[in-house]
Amino acid sequence: MTPDAANHRPPKSIGQIGMGRIIDRSETAAEAALPCVVEFRNVSKTYNVGQRNAFTAIENINFRVRDLPGHGELVCVLGPSGCGKSTILRLIAGLPPQHPATTGEVLVGGAPVLRPGADRGMVFQDYTSFDHRTVLENITFGLECMGVDRRRRHQLGYEWIEHVGLDPKHDAQKYPHELSGGMRQRVAIARSLILRPRIILMDEPFGALDPQTRMNMQDLLLSLWHESEATIFFVTHSIEEAVFLADRIYVMSKAPGTILRELWVEPSDRPARQMQGDPRFLETVNYVRNLITQLEIEGRIAEGTT
Amino acid sequence: MPEPQPSKNDPPPSAATPERPEQRAAESADMVVRRRQQPVRPFRGLRSEVSAGKTLLLGVCGALLVLAAWWLLTRGETPQQRWLSPTLLPSPAETFADFPRLWFEEELTRNAAVSLRRVVLGFGLAALVGAPLGILCGCFRSLGALLAPLLIVGRNIPVAALIPLTFFWFGIGEQQKVMFIFIASVAFVVIDSANAVGEISGRYIDTAYTLGASRRQIITKVIVPLAMPSIFNSLRLLFGIAFGYIMLAELVRLGSEAGGLGFIINSAQRRGMRTYILLVLMIIPLIALAVDRFLYWVQRQLFPYYYGSEGWLHRALVFALRGCEDFAALFRRAVAPPLALSGSADQASKPGPGGAPPSETNTP
Repeated sequence: MTPDAANHRPPKSIGQIGMGRIIDRSETAAEAALPCVVEFRNVSKTYNVGQRNAFTAIENINFRVRDLPGHGELVCVLGPSGCGKSTILRLIAGLPPQHPATTGEVLVGGAPVLRPGADRGMVFQDYTSFDHRTVLENITFGLECMGVDRRRRHQLGYEWIEHVGLDPKHDAQKYPHELSGGMRQRVAIARSLILRPRIILMDEPFGALDPQTRMNMQDLLLSLWHESEATIFFVTHSIEEAVFLADRIYVMSKAPGTILRELWVEPSDRPARQMQGDPRFLETVNYVRNLITQLEIEGRIAEGTT
Repeated sequence: MPEPQPSKNDPPPSAATPERPEQRAAESADMVVRRRQQPVRPFRGLRSEVSAGKTLLLGVCGALLVLAAWWLLTRGETPQQRWLSPTLLPSPAETFADFPRLWFEEELTRNAAVSLRRVVLGFGLAALVGAPLGILCGCFRSLGALLAPLLIVGRNIPVAALIPLTFFWFGIGEQQKVMFIFIASVAFVVIDSANAVGEISGRYIDTAYTLGASRRQIITKVIVPLAMPSIFNSLRLLFGIAFGYIMLAELVRLGSEAGGLGFIINSAQRRGMRTYILLVLMIIPLIALAVDRFLYWVQRQLFPYYYGSEGWLHRALVFALRGCEDFAALFRRAVAPPLALSGSADQASKPGPGGAPPSETNTP
């Protein structure tokens, strides 16, 4: 049930689409006038403040993602393990202990984040399907919490099971332990998207999957994203994944995490398998890889001089 | 053979290799691995699975060994010929010969039922009070801290020392026995339940929060169901201990003849009936085993997603909960779900009901 080239619809992109080249662009005046979906203003997070084991996860993070009409952006946060990528996501989600930030402001829709909510769906790397619930019950968990009656939520649940490429007849009544990793992440995605969140936060959701499944899931994600208007924040340490998925990439440094560079990337016009073997795509990946190395060296030099 | 060493450690190569001749020249390490995979003698493989039939067989062997030792120690016509005198240990034959008398004259079944009833009531009360309290302690650590001193006392107190106090508090009737079991086991239930909640991975709670669940919903829909298998398992084990406590309560008597297995032991002791004591000592584990197996069956049927069972009790529970939900829905305003799928294949051309139409402006 993976979207193949035939039904791979071109994205509703603001600009050009293609093989994931780096685009030289900056915010236009019209865009700058729009309100922000998510905004970070000088955000830092330090754990165990004032103690000997104090640890700064992220430092002085600033970025804005505009609320483009009828179009959500896919923002990738790219960086090595332990650089505070997840901290950024969890600050947007409002999940403790990362929330609240030590300094600075995290704004969602112009208002500070106070607590987690269904408007910011999250998909984790770990499999988080509730063990005691069937696939259908897992997917309709959020609706159940809202108080939607059972008949309607199950109807919607079946639609979504099919929509994320699972079999409504066979899979709906299965328990999570009967599912493969890819299927579990499909459940996790459906469970979030069924609530129509404004923002989707994805914390290396495909990190534990094998390469084949991973590409299928990337295609699925793009096709689901194209029909929603949600803004996606996608954390990954895979450059390929970031270049393939992203409209915009934030390259982060090692801890304490800072944003080294903002890159705009051409959205993809073809499925993952075709794209990720293409020399032009690989060229971009190499370019980004070299850039990261370069930025790290510069950072170390700067550190040494100060 | 490439080297002589493997042939020394290995079973005859003909046994290990005929089905895979191409691996005949494998290295010694490889052969060790393959030998482990083969079904070998008992007590060979570390932590390897043992089939149900074999388990039963080995268990029967174990029991027979003990019985044989018992028989050997008490063999002989006269007390002088025996290794252990009959005043210390009657022989198996003497003991089992007394069984009918124990059954009919001492009303074994009635007394066993009396003991069982006391444990079920006392421990059931402990579970009803302790499990919810423990879950709350696990959810709200402050409550746990508040109750910590009480729990430390409850866990470390020598239960036998409680008996005199319970006589003062609850008299000498049934109530005293039931409450003794309750007091002796409730702290353990609370602690185990709190630990079960503590062991639930935080990612489930994070996920529930991002799906819009309230704190109460997280407790009822996520924490309780996920902690339940572990809580039930510890209840089952604690029940066995509580069953041991009831003997204690029944052996210490004041006044009235209250019945119970402990009472049989007590009166047998005064009359010098060692055989009765031995028989009751053998019957108690059998009852405990039967109860344990029953509870294990309940546990398996309650949590099919952990034990892969048919889940009859789980289904009954789901059915009952749905009934409750439907009943509650009668008194509640219906909530509209978020938009139905406007982007699914058949609906893609139509704009979603009240929602955003597909935003690509298709040029005609």
